[in-house]
Amino acid sequence: MSKASQELYEVAQQAVDLALKKGASAAAARAAKSRDVEVRWRDGKVEQIQESTTRGVSLALYVDGRYAAVSSSDLRKEALETFIGDSIVMTRSLAVDPHRTLPDPALYAGRQEIDLQLEDPAYLTVSAEKRRTLAKEMEDAARAVKGADAILSVSSGFNDNRTESVRIASNGFSGDSVGTTFFIGAEVAVKDADGRRPSDSSFAGVRFVGELPSAAEHGRIAAERALSRLGAKKTESKALTMVLDNRAAGRLVGALAGPLSGQALQQKRSFFEGKLGQPIGSKLLHLTDDPFVRKGFGSRLFDGEGLAARQRVVFEDGVLHTYFIDTYYGKKLGLAPTTGGMSNLSWRLGERSKEQLIKDAGEAIYVTGFIGGNSNATTGDYSLGVQGFMIRGGTVAEPVAEMNIAGNQLELWKQLVAVGNDPYPFSTLRTPTLVFDGVSFAGL
Amino acid sequence: MNEQGISRRQVLHIGAATLASSALSDVLAGPAKAYAATAGAGGPLYFARFGVDETLIRGALAAALSKGGDYADLYFQHRVGSSFMLEDGSVNRAFKSVELGVGVRVVKGDQVGYGFTEDLTREALQQAALTAAAIADGPSGAPPERFHVSDPKASRYAVKLRWDDVRPEQKLPILNQLNERTFAADPRVKKVSISFNDEASVILIADSTGRIVEDFQPMTSCYLGCVAEQNGAREQGAYNVAGREDLSFYSEDRLTRMVKEAVARTTILFEAVPAPAGEMPVVMAAGSSGILLHEAIGHGMEADFNRKGTSIYSDKIGKPVAKPFVSIIDEGTQPGARGALNVDDEGNEVGKTMLVQDGVLTTYLHDNISAKHYGVKPTGNGRRESYQYAPMPRMRSTYMLPGPHKKDEIIASVKHGIYATNFTNGQVNIGAGDFTFYVKNGWLIEDGKLTRPVKDVNIIGNGPKVLEQIDMVSDDLAIDEGGWTCGKDGQGVPVSQGLPTVRVASITVGGRSGAKRG
Repeated sequence: MSKASQELYEVAQQAVDLALKKGASAAAARAAKSRDVEVRWRDGKVEQIQESTTRGVSLALYVDGRYAAVSSSDLRKEALETFIGDSIVMTRSLAVDPHRTLPDPALYAGRQEIDLQLEDPAYLTVSAEKRRTLAKEMEDAARAVKGADAILSVSSGFNDNRTESVRIASNGFSGDSVGTTFFIGAEVAVKDADGRRPSDSSFAGVRFVGELPSAAEHGRIAAERALSRLGAKKTESKALTMVLDNRAAGRLVGALAGPLSGQALQQKRSFFEGKLGQPIGSKLLHLTDDPFVRKGFGSRLFDGEGLAARQRVVFEDGVLHTYFIDTYYGKKLGLAPTTGGMSNLSWRLGERSKEQLIKDAGEAIYVTGFIGGNSNATTGDYSLGVQGFMIRGGTVAEPVAEMNIAGNQLELWKQLVAVGNDPYPFSTLRTPTLVFDGVSFAGL
Repeated sequence: MNEQGISRRQVLHIGAATLASSALSDVLAGPAKAYAATAGAGGPLYFARFGVDETLIRGALAAALSKGGDYADLYFQHRVGSSFMLEDGSVNRAFKSVELGVGVRVVKGDQVGYGFTEDLTREALQQAALTAAAIADGPSGAPPERFHVSDPKASRYAVKLRWDDVRPEQKLPILNQLNERTFAADPRVKKVSISFNDEASVILIADSTGRIVEDFQPMTSCYLGCVAEQNGAREQGAYNVAGREDLSFYSEDRLTRMVKEAVARTTILFEAVPAPAGEMPVVMAAGSSGILLHEAIGHGMEADFNRKGTSIYSDKIGKPVAKPFVSIIDEGTQPGARGALNVDDEGNEVGKTMLVQDGVLTTYLHDNISAKHYGVKPTGNGRRESYQYAPMPRMRSTYMLPGPHKKDEIIASVKHGIYATNFTNGQVNIGAGDFTFYVKNGWLIEDGKLTRPVKDVNIIGNGPKVLEQIDMVSDDLAIDEGGWTCGKDGQGVPVSQGLPTVRVASITVGGRSGAKRG
């Protein structure tokens, strides 16, 4: 576990010191530096290369009972001094807000000292040639599948990032984090007989470059997925069982994050208000916010305010256990802060694989992707475009597109009848395949 | 990757990477000083603002072309953004960001190398240029010997007062007034939230043909959201306005309309019934219904998808795609519009582009790369979110010209259907052509009359099929004043949209199958 550079510590400390010197009663600074490299490959050659390093400092200012948040990348002392001075003047124009303070330092305490394994020491050894080679492998594998004659275009790519950050607050917080990510992906467009040009993709991401799965495998999967979309049509409007693929399920679960937040609750924009301790879903709705997943994309030892990270059960056997409350909205609500944002979601997994769930579903729609739509955080009403496949007799059958599902979140999660054994590993929402009964599909 | 969306952005640039540099403190201390230092006879206005000169630019372009690229450009940007927010009755938080940087692009055929830096020193600029240069692999090209300033011919957003010169005390009364009036408008209103956003952006583009283009681009938007309660039920709604305007944008008329619309759109939800499910006629109200065009055809006409053969509109130029009374335009010439531009982000002139003329597919939306590919003139659609990104073909303001029908006639023609009036977001799959838009407010049409309000329903269709299904177009074209932001490939750009009242004869409404059908 490496530490962020001394330079970033100095930048953050300097920003806090300047804020206090210029008249802030308290301040917290986050200094960060991020390097990003991307290669995009299309149809036999490099399409675009991009490489950049950015750095900057953001600052929360508490001035005479007032609050503002500002950011800048000019890290030289004189420029930073002017910027912070101007920002403090701006802050003084605002209304006093007695709820706005730095976190209670007691909540900084108890930070775990474990190696979350977020940084690959081999990061700098990734060569331009390796990036190109993996991107090319994806295209070659895509073009080698059966039915590849219908392929119009293959785009693939490699992206890697290293970000280090330091947070310092004037009431005694200091902490850093360093992480690397490596993503590969391929998207394949195919020509349909009716003039449509459907596409589909396959992506993978890891913290350690050596753990990237086979690029060729993802190229092949992208091509097979795209080809499987040929001939997709809408089907009749009716209530049916929905088997929701793990790569798409995060969209539904992610819609719960907003209404679970302190801001939504305090602003009367949450259908979860007053629901703590009550059953929201079936007993299968059971998941934990787990910041300590090794190599996880949302893993952390402290949250965005510096609160020591903790595992928290969000839903247990369908019952709501936790809101996501930060310091500010905690004070407004009169509730103890938990954390202002989710880290990684870990589900209590089922026994069955996706294939088995499809087989057991009998007659259903297998949803592999969402398109557009929205979910109303105040009422729980949702309406989302979907595409996927019919399931007939427990077997994946013809592709469907241009369909929609609609209902209310408070009903939907009670209709959760099965959870797969396959958490999606390439996201902070590590959602397995989910099965819901009686979902309202709109089509013809 | 081919999923493009549009959404109402409530907050501008708060989370964006925010940057400042050597020129910054001077500029913040007084823009007048920055101009005074630079206003040479016919020379670039903004060299001093960015702390650059011709020698430095020539050196960077030489490095960019050092591996044999066909073309290179530098995109300097300085953008100061600020946001004031009101919650629980007071303006109790503010956000400020400064972005200053330069992007270097090298083009070789249809291949692109890109690098950027926030450090505007000679060394950092050279390094970014060399990074971008690596897309090519050939003998070095020569940078331009001389530069010429090519001023934008248009002036579509000449503001009297620049946002970086506006004091907080001038903005705060707007938020406080909106708050008081919204509570006063209806006792059912329980919460009001407002965000007031503005930015002042300066761009300077220098390219390997020796052209230098500059523009000053103001923007403001204001979002007014409210939560109302009635008999234990709660609903939220909002209204939002945006434009390349100054403080005078917030006229009495506009503030009155914001309050009226935000409250009306929220409280009517208490009367709403669930929308039905399935195919039926949908009447799109004049104004923000332009989201239909943005998703059903606009993205599919962006020429990058077409030159790659991955758009459902590839190979359809010159072919009939809609009824003869359907004409669709994308343009950037409306004064003060959110989607207005004097020049695009490649320095090209911005005019009007006919996507569909009298029912026939006419012109794709081009950037330099696609224009060269098709052997046509660029259409001024090369846009980017900031100096951190390479440009690509993007929409500006997309709308349909008025048609031969009347609004009342169109509604009266529908036996069972939906009248869609207010939207929050949409999305499209470019190749398959399937697209959606989310209806926040609408009405059931029964026997030619608007009967009950409906809410929160997604509508899904297929672009070319829906264009064919547009069988009535009214004479009441309206361009929406809302703050739309279009997302593509991770880049957000401000856009406008509009539509006359239009009937789509059949499209899938994503209501609940249990609900009464039409």
